[in-house]
Amino acid sequence: MALFLVWPTISVIARAFIHDGSFSFFNMNRAITGTYRDSFIVTAKLSFITSILGAFIGLVMAILLRRLPVESRARTLADSWSAVASQLGGLPLAFAFVALVGTQGILTRVLKTMGYNLADHGFTLTGMMGWTIVYLYFQIPLMFLIMTPAISALKDTWFESATSMGASSARFWRSVGMPILMPTILTGFVLLFVNAFSAYATAYALSTGAGQLIPLQIRFILQGNVITGENELGYAIVAWTLILLVLSLVAVTLLQRRVSKWTESA
Amino acid sequence: MLGTFARRGFWILLIMYFVLPMLAMARFALQTVPTFMLNSHTLFKGWGFSEFMVAFKDPGVIKSTVLSLELTALTIALTFLMLVPLTTLIEIKAPRLKPVMTGATVLSWLVPPVALVVGVAGTFREVFPGFLSSALNLTYFYALWMLPFTYRALDGQLRLIGARNLYEAAQSVGCTPITFFFKIILPNIKSSLYISASLIVASVLGEFTFASLLLKQTMPVYMWHFQTSETRAGFALALVVMIATALILGLAVARLRKRGINFSATGI
Repeated sequence: MALFLVWPTISVIARAFIHDGSFSFFNMNRAITGTYRDSFIVTAKLSFITSILGAFIGLVMAILLRRLPVESRARTLADSWSAVASQLGGLPLAFAFVALVGTQGILTRVLKTMGYNLADHGFTLTGMMGWTIVYLYFQIPLMFLIMTPAISALKDTWFESATSMGASSARFWRSVGMPILMPTILTGFVLLFVNAFSAYATAYALSTGAGQLIPLQIRFILQGNVITGENELGYAIVAWTLILLVLSLVAVTLLQRRVSKWTESA
Repeated sequence: MLGTFARRGFWILLIMYFVLPMLAMARFALQTVPTFMLNSHTLFKGWGFSEFMVAFKDPGVIKSTVLSLELTALTIALTFLMLVPLTTLIEIKAPRLKPVMTGATVLSWLVPPVALVVGVAGTFREVFPGFLSSALNLTYFYALWMLPFTYRALDGQLRLIGARNLYEAAQSVGCTPITFFFKIILPNIKSSLYISASLIVASVLGEFTFASLLLKQTMPVYMWHFQTSETRAGFALALVVMIATALILGLAVARLRKRGINFSATGI
């Protein structure tokens, strides 16, 4: 564990601060300027969008399925499918979307015969919209899996007592359901964010190896390490990625504390 | 009324979103008619399994699949040999160490493969230059990468069966720790071993990041090159991998649900 995980990680972070054999912020600065800065922004934006959408749709799925008994076929199907789809990422998933909405894709073709050209409307699989659509394929099921246990912990009696006092279903969710679920929703959101930020295979397959997303920049620098000094830049980008991920986890832990205080006082 | 309508629409859209890409990939794998020639006359022509045969006969596909299967087997072996005795020991003798274990497993989840691999390439190449030349040494990183899932599955099951009480009971009837481990613990944690193994199979067979960045020709890495030259056979191969993964994981989840154990794919 120490040998295969801690040592490489620490050494990356340490090396990110070394330039010409001495301590310096040179590489750390370089990693967040120019094109690399844009990469961080694009990747963060993509992760953020897919996490928000994925969290929302996954949550709605979990809420809608709540009333079904656990043994029902629809529940079993949704649970098993989500377990599978959340792990699916990677090449096959990217291939599947290329087959559907790539330039030679089926849907592209069907829409074209109907007089709608996807490419004319700015849609490509290597753009923000394309990435979002592919990433959601594993983000939605992941959120569903995270939310299901928390939602089944909501007691039916709470719902009944709320409605017997005249609360509407919407009111129940606003005043009771959501506050209780909030910590889990936040955790789910961060897990989704981290998941999207470090997704490598899907990004790689969609952009044929060279692209703007951070995991691909890391690859680019790592493979092109014949140019001396570029290695250090790679370390710096990785260090920034780790810093970002840790910060988002810390932020969510703090937020959760806040939220649990609200629920206690409410 | 509107609620029902909206709900139906939501489900229909969602199911279409999840199913259509798979169907599209299946069409490319099964039908040889190019998309631009697809119309009402050619729709039913050219279907068949020939692309699958192209994929299965490719020597590169066979070689890389063998490598991926070896890695899977080694990862399962390493996980079971190291993690099972250790987790059992901690549960019975030193429950104080549990938070440490949980923390350690979260750590390996927190450092994403794409970051870890940079560190690995940087440090190991300088200190043990030979280590990364063997593709089978990926095993250590795979076992580590799967740790959050495998540890939790094992730990949960050990708690569920009350391993500590069982140990005391076994001791009082004169059972040696070795007999206890093989005769009592192992048979009782079978289902969590099963889910751990299934997860390892599904994940390692699809793992791309480590292998690609360390330039090892595992099956997913080869699949990428293969697909650029043999487009449709590449789709066929991807389809097979996807269905196999789905079956392995789906069966494991279904089996666990039957026993009333909730599956946590997040590892958190």
